[in-house]
Amino acid sequence: MFKLVGIVCILVGCTGWGINRITEERSRVQHLREMIRIIKRIQDEISYGKRTLPQICLTLSEYCNVLYQPYFKKIYEQMNQGSGISLEQIWGQQMGQCLHHAPLSEEEKDILRNLPQNLGIQEEKLQAKSIGQSMEYLVRQCRKAEDAYDNRARMILSVSVLMGVFLTILLL
Amino acid sequence: MRSEWGQVAEQADRLQEIRLRANQPVTVLMDNKEWFLSKEGGFTQDMSYASYSGEKELEAILTHVCHYSIYAFTDEIRQGFMTIPGGHRIGLSGQVIMEDRNQVRNLKYIRYLNIRIAHEIKGVSDPLLPGLYDDKGEPYNTLLISPPGCGKTTMLRDLVRNVSNGNSYGRGVNVSVVDERSEIAGSYLGIAQNDVGIRTDVLDGCPKTEGMMMLIRAMAPRVLAVDELGSDGDVQALRTASGCGCKLFATIHGSSLEEVKYKKFMSGVIADKLFDRYVVLTRKNGNCEVEGVYTGEGVRCLN
Repeated sequence: MFKLVGIVCILVGCTGWGINRITEERSRVQHLREMIRIIKRIQDEISYGKRTLPQICLTLSEYCNVLYQPYFKKIYEQMNQGSGISLEQIWGQQMGQCLHHAPLSEEEKDILRNLPQNLGIQEEKLQAKSIGQSMEYLVRQCRKAEDAYDNRARMILSVSVLMGVFLTILLL
Repeated sequence: MRSEWGQVAEQADRLQEIRLRANQPVTVLMDNKEWFLSKEGGFTQDMSYASYSGEKELEAILTHVCHYSIYAFTDEIRQGFMTIPGGHRIGLSGQVIMEDRNQVRNLKYIRYLNIRIAHEIKGVSDPLLPGLYDDKGEPYNTLLISPPGCGKTTMLRDLVRNVSNGNSYGRGVNVSVVDERSEIAGSYLGIAQNDVGIRTDVLDGCPKTEGMMMLIRAMAPRVLAVDELGSDGDVQALRTASGCGCKLFATIHGSSLEEVKYKKFMSGVIADKLFDRYVVLTRKNGNCEVEGVYTGEGVRCLN
């Protein structure tokens, strides 16, 4: 009876580990897609709407994924407080918190965290283009992550189940 | 930087102007007297104690004023001034970038800032109202004549507010304002920062000639208000607006009705009695006051 319970536990544990890895991979793709969507929206708001960054943050606080919404709202609120803290600091702090647990590489996180460093160009089209360069990088990363997810999801699940079976046999 | 400005901010009601120039002392105009900003944060007349503004400080101020979105203010920068919340205006100067057809494309190396503090004086036009309405409670076509810096825009703004909200001489009517230089309404991101009344529509940053026609077509105003007439085109647009049944409020630089008559583009206007009332503002002993209100024939009707 104990052996049976042990076998079930090992199999569930290994399969769970595999599912967790797959979820992480999927979450990475979702984060990258969302970041692209956010940057695209920022680009559009700059080039067509000529809206200021705090206003764009307010729009994003209603438009983007719920994970990001409160952080953009906070940026907007802090900017309007006029405390003298620069946008770079506020943005960096809030985005740092927002992306802290995101399954992304530091390089990918930096794209969004350091976005205000690319601002200051006095022409909306050029400004939008400059932001677009960051987006191109994210699009490439996202494509890679999507391909990897498609290829690896089944493999990870199979390996985790097989690993459970192997461990069970080994321990028996 | 903020610590230096604490005492200046406390005197906001008396402040008129703050001038920042790269590597030059910061000057503050308060109660018509020039002061230097001291290093400790107060005011001083001694230049050796004056605080200097650096290039980086100017850039930081500009970036902050633009909400870190300079691209959103290119049109304002090109024109050389920006309006900020509260209706205050920042004049900008630096190196001009020209484009084809001798037009200013942009300003770079902005090294001179002139922050003009807006002071809204509500009720300043109240004493004029009896002379600016007819027996039926309709406002007269009115021209405000004033030398520079004597409060004609302040007067026009308050007049617009009074006519828009309604008062004891006439009910409130729809007023449209062509605010070419964002001085009347002091719009920031499209929202009027000054109180211009509940029935007022503002077309911000638009040239007067185009703006007047746009507003007549789009907003059907009962009264149309414009600041600083200065060309034949402005006068022509005023005539058209008058022909459309709008009442007109306008301002012009000048120290007397006589002086305005001799402006080339205004001669026909006065002869044709396009305006029913002329309000002349003047400066006496350093104070600005209403010199008189005149009828279209030039007869004084209100002191």
